[in-house]
Amino acid sequence: MTRLFFLLAFFLIATGGFSQLIPSNGVADSKVVYYALHHVNVYVSSSEFIENATVLIKGDKIEKIGKLISLPQGCVEIDMEGQTIVPSFIELYTNIALPIPNSAGGFRPQLETANKGAYYWNESIHPEVDAANLFQIDAKANENLISMGFGFAVTHVQDGIVRGSGALISLGNENVNKQLISSHAGNFYSFSKGVSSQSYPSSQMGAIALLRQSLYDLSYYQSNKLNQDNSISMDSWARNLHGPSFFKVDEKWEILRANKISKEFGLDFIYIASGNEYANVHELKKILPKLIVPMNFPLAYDVQDPYLARQIPLSDLKHWELAPYNPKYLIDNGLTVALTSAGIESPKTFWKNIRKQVEVGLSVQQVLEALTEIPAKMIGKDGSMGSLQDGKLASFSVFDGNPFDAEVTLLESWQLGERRVLSSTQKNKLLGNFTLIIKGKKYELQVSGTNDKPTGKVYFTQEKMVKKKAVIDTISSDVTITINQADISMAFDFPNENKTGGFQLHGKIKREGQIIEGDALLPDGNWSEWAAIKKQKTETKVTEEKKQGNNTDESPKSWLPNLAFGRNAELQDFPLVIKNTTLWTNEAEGIMENATVVCFAGKIIIVSKNNVVIPPNAIVIDGKGMHLTSGIIDEHSHIAISKGVNEGGQTVTAEVSIADVVNPDDINIYRQLAGGVTAAQLLHGSANTIGGQSALIKLKWGSSPDEMIIPNAPKFIKCALGENVKQSNWGDFNTVRFPQTRMGVEQVFYDGFVRAEAYKKEWNTFLTSKKTENSITPRKDLELEVLCEILSGERKITCHSYVQSEINMLMKVADSMGFTVNTFTHILEGYKLADKMKEHGVGASTFSDWWAYKFEVNDAIPYNAALMNQQGLVVAINSDDAEMGRRLNQEAAKSVKYGGMSEIDAWKMVTLNPSKLLHLDDRMGSLRVGKDADLVLWSDNPLSINSIVQMTVVDGKILFSIEEDKILQTRNKLERARLTAMMLSQNKSSQENQKFKPKRNKHFHCNTIGEEGSELENSH
Amino acid sequence: MKRLLFFIAFIMCVMSSSFGQKTLLINGYLHVGNGDVMPTAAIGIIDGKIVSIKNAMTTRYEPSDWDTIIDVEGQHVYPGFVAPNSTLGLTEIDAVRATRDFQDVGEFNPHVRTQIAYNVESNVIETVLTNGVLFAQATPRGGIISGTSSVMFLAGWNWEDATILKDDGIHVNWPPATSGGGWWAEPAPKSINKDYANQKATIEGFFEMSFAYANNKEDDFDQRLEAMIGCFKGKKRVFFHADELQQLLDVIEFCEKYAIKYPVIIGGHDAYLLGARLKDSHIPIMLERVHKLPEFEDEPVDLPYQLPNLLQNQGVLFCLQNQGDMEAMNARNLPFQAGTAMAYGLTEEQAIQAISLSTCQILGIDEKYGSIEIGKSATLFVSQGNALDMRTNKVNLIMRDGKLIENTNFQEDLYLKYKKKYQKN
Repeated sequence: MTRLFFLLAFFLIATGGFSQLIPSNGVADSKVVYYALHHVNVYVSSSEFIENATVLIKGDKIEKIGKLISLPQGCVEIDMEGQTIVPSFIELYTNIALPIPNSAGGFRPQLETANKGAYYWNESIHPEVDAANLFQIDAKANENLISMGFGFAVTHVQDGIVRGSGALISLGNENVNKQLISSHAGNFYSFSKGVSSQSYPSSQMGAIALLRQSLYDLSYYQSNKLNQDNSISMDSWARNLHGPSFFKVDEKWEILRANKISKEFGLDFIYIASGNEYANVHELKKILPKLIVPMNFPLAYDVQDPYLARQIPLSDLKHWELAPYNPKYLIDNGLTVALTSAGIESPKTFWKNIRKQVEVGLSVQQVLEALTEIPAKMIGKDGSMGSLQDGKLASFSVFDGNPFDAEVTLLESWQLGERRVLSSTQKNKLLGNFTLIIKGKKYELQVSGTNDKPTGKVYFTQEKMVKKKAVIDTISSDVTITINQADISMAFDFPNENKTGGFQLHGKIKREGQIIEGDALLPDGNWSEWAAIKKQKTETKVTEEKKQGNNTDESPKSWLPNLAFGRNAELQDFPLVIKNTTLWTNEAEGIMENATVVCFAGKIIIVSKNNVVIPPNAIVIDGKGMHLTSGIIDEHSHIAISKGVNEGGQTVTAEVSIADVVNPDDINIYRQLAGGVTAAQLLHGSANTIGGQSALIKLKWGSSPDEMIIPNAPKFIKCALGENVKQSNWGDFNTVRFPQTRMGVEQVFYDGFVRAEAYKKEWNTFLTSKKTENSITPRKDLELEVLCEILSGERKITCHSYVQSEINMLMKVADSMGFTVNTFTHILEGYKLADKMKEHGVGASTFSDWWAYKFEVNDAIPYNAALMNQQGLVVAINSDDAEMGRRLNQEAAKSVKYGGMSEIDAWKMVTLNPSKLLHLDDRMGSLRVGKDADLVLWSDNPLSINSIVQMTVVDGKILFSIEEDKILQTRNKLERARLTAMMLSQNKSSQENQKFKPKRNKHFHCNTIGEEGSELENSH
Repeated sequence: MKRLLFFIAFIMCVMSSSFGQKTLLINGYLHVGNGDVMPTAAIGIIDGKIVSIKNAMTTRYEPSDWDTIIDVEGQHVYPGFVAPNSTLGLTEIDAVRATRDFQDVGEFNPHVRTQIAYNVESNVIETVLTNGVLFAQATPRGGIISGTSSVMFLAGWNWEDATILKDDGIHVNWPPATSGGGWWAEPAPKSINKDYANQKATIEGFFEMSFAYANNKEDDFDQRLEAMIGCFKGKKRVFFHADELQQLLDVIEFCEKYAIKYPVIIGGHDAYLLGARLKDSHIPIMLERVHKLPEFEDEPVDLPYQLPNLLQNQGVLFCLQNQGDMEAMNARNLPFQAGTAMAYGLTEEQAIQAISLSTCQILGIDEKYGSIEIGKSATLFVSQGNALDMRTNKVNLIMRDGKLIENTNFQEDLYLKYKKKYQKN
């Protein structure tokens, strides 16, 4: 009885307190109580390295590590001389041992969730997905992580926006109950919709809005549980919220986007980074997020064919060089960085990239910390894992040398105190030439390939008498070699005694491969002893080329932005003087000859015909013979937008905002600057009736998204009418979504605004009533809040429109709901009802001369702008097109031709008038003291076909100039040449390279659907 | 201006036919189209042909010698501009399939002809005409050989009447030298087009078959190959649509191999990199759209604007064309694309030449059209100011073979209609 009790106690200790009792067949499994590992070099933690130590393990925990420790009796003792112990790494971003979800989508739009059951209404929000429930041991995936040195992982289903909870597992254990350490180790989020086949969301801004709405729904659910329908999704989400939250991003800017949500909802996201954060480090260091950073650095491109290589964007070449520096640059700037193996398939590459981190300048301590202690802290498990201090879990890897110094072999992996031998300590150095002796005969054996998988060739040389002359005759044969630790078997065919026959050899490798001996079965059927002795000198080591020193001064630098024409450094703010030039003031002064403009701290401070005092340090430009204007403002643009200009998943998507997805890495920003554009309204597309909120930006090339957004700008939203919203040109599959006619469009507006009014009333009632215990805070609805802003006039509408009937309709809807439409954009039939528009008080932003692209533009005429202008409307000319956007001066000039507009009026259509439409005319649109220093210097009259932009100034900084452009062109060329040369040498020395994957044309137009620009002809 | 209007009204009555008509166009600033100018010209036109060009300041003329004298003092006289490689007249509303008539089914369609699909009543073509673009090469799209184009006038009672040059050439879409790339959701590696050699061989095979047919004396009839005969006899041009370096080099080689008498490259983005090789091959270029974004991230921002001048400097014969998004309606902006090329290096007259004489040379109609020279057709227009600048391109007079063409379009009609509406109010 006592004995039985003892056994039970033993079992409990050995399993480390995981007291799940599994009936065992027969007597319970036997376990070692104590292990003592001797003479081993141990990284106890990232900051403590003990050489020649003893590690005492009890059960699944480290009992003690030290140079001199007393051992209990009855240890299993293992000598690990010369070996290195590294604490098990912790992988936080993986989906091992979990199923990969599939999409079940069809062709037709799917407006509602296909998930049967009491779940959230959107398929991409599934907090109920619980990795622990789905977890099954996946030996192969396990093996790969173990081979890299990992011992723990948090695995989750990598799908959707709210992905569910992850499970913390220990790798390499065959007991599933033991392997699962904790079932709710963290919640996972992303902006990727995943396999959901539901139409909404179809863009990143939609994903952002959906995530925010669902988080509001969650808090509403939590606080009003009693009055709510049950939701399995919300129940699970509420239950799991306490753990850490991980957010997977695909792009550096997404961290800034998610960070806003993190602040809004008090979620402390840990970001699973994308690998290009180095180019955003100056923004990240302001918010100091915790990051899990990948090490799957891009391979060199195949650049041998110059015709193909020239198509690789310079930004991709630069990324190739900078990517390995990503972790270092982040750590150097004070960010908390854990490393992940995500995206790396082979352990060899993993370790190569780890050592690369040391090469580029991180210390071993920093790298190790990022793989162990930091991830442990991130999941709140630093008490038990991440290092090997006394009492922590005995999970570690044993290498036959220091893996941070050179390529070594992983010998053993210990997980929760269980030992697994992965590779023999025997270091077989078989490669080379041997003298093989079988039954007294000497052969030569050449072993090549690798030490694990060698191949061989055997030679026999004899003197032969040919025509009475002695001739040296050599015959040879291939040898197949199989190695199993110290055992080797070899076989070859060889003529023996003039008969061809098989030699089969088996032997033991001795003295690390200097000698091999054993028994051979000869072609004649007899056994014989054999031996092979390595010839000296043959093993000439090819000394590796000296690695480039990690001289930090030579570290590659990211540009601002990290694209062609990005700047090497931020621009300084100097006073700016442009003198002796012709000013198009757009003010009462009209055109001023021989005048001077002075800018200071981003504002115009002097506009004068007289001599002015030039401030110290000022940049002075002589504008003689040139023309200076205020910057062009593009009222309708779709450049600089990430992942989708349309949220086309629903008819009303007022909740989405372009401001959430401004993308500073669009080369078209620079190209528009070169065309004199300084500000733009980035509009949502026209795929639905009430689209999304606008972003009003300045084209600050090299700035962050938030710096580009114009501070305190009025709020705008895009609405749309006609063929796009009724999906007329989207093919026969798209006949599901309401509305499909102009009749329906009117009703969508009324429905939205009526719902908004009710919503407002509900909130007003709540806010003004006395709170009792039973009073319910109404649900926050992001869409209706925005519609309420429209009703109150706080948010202004820019509406995509073509034919007069629909234009008239929206004005009547607005009249009846008590608001005014601010701008009709496109408005190609505006000339037919300019009088009605004037009466309503709406402005117009139109194309100069586009038409004939679809039925509703049949009556579009290039005289439209002039006619509307004659009727006293505020009229702007816009682009809706990245190409046309860079020559809006030409487009404005067309109204001089079509309709005889004066040049001054024509010019205002791309400067002052759009600023009025955007209600920014108090700070932009003309050359007036106090306004923003957004200026363009032209070689000629800006409306002339001969006019070329010489310089574009935004907020007082010269962001484009002809001279600098030439310098940047040369610099781009040299940079490309330098990087290509580096890649060419890699192409030579390595088999590994990647084919260039071109980016598609990412030019959004109004009707572009999906996250990326299509190459289809656009129809605006 | 009053005088001009008077004349136009007068002419409309008188000149229903140009036969025997003697017209003198005086005092205009003449842009010949070949690079020359004459600031005050007296252009004599008899039977639709230009019979004399003299300096109006130094030459006296006898008013009674002329049936009509049109004084265009202070205005500019240009040869009709040409929009080559265009779907103008073959499409009306891009988004409406029923109105698209430029692409048929099949890979080798040389027998498919645009001439008979050309819609003279197209609302689009009259809006192009009134900007000084008087001709278009109505061009088919799609497949490997899209079909046969024809050069058409942008007005007429029917397609026969509008035809300037029937079946001027076939259009070969050269296979891309690079392939792959997937689509945006699943980018795949881009590499050298592995089928390139094969695709090239397919074209070669077709040309060999056509060549053999052309030399076959037997009277078998093959509709498709019949359409190819002209290519080998110098009666039809072969237009190769190609942009990439690799493609251009292969087209040059192909033209040598098959002794194509009149080859033309359309597109030619990389042509500026080829320099002398292109010039030596005597293959002219119909250059891609000037109003275009750079092809690659680190291409100079203004490269598309510079390309015409780069070719000009290399001595390559080239003209401008406008293929691309909304190309039909956009053809009216061709003069301004030439204008942009002028801002970026071409001289004004070079820019004019790139949309008039050079185009006509490349199309093979320069004997009659493309410049205002003695012996050529009086097919020209008069603009209030510089026709390459948006502000001053105001076409006051259009003439085809000496005959005045109506110079309005429905857009102007709508403008006047609504202008009147507001004046009444």
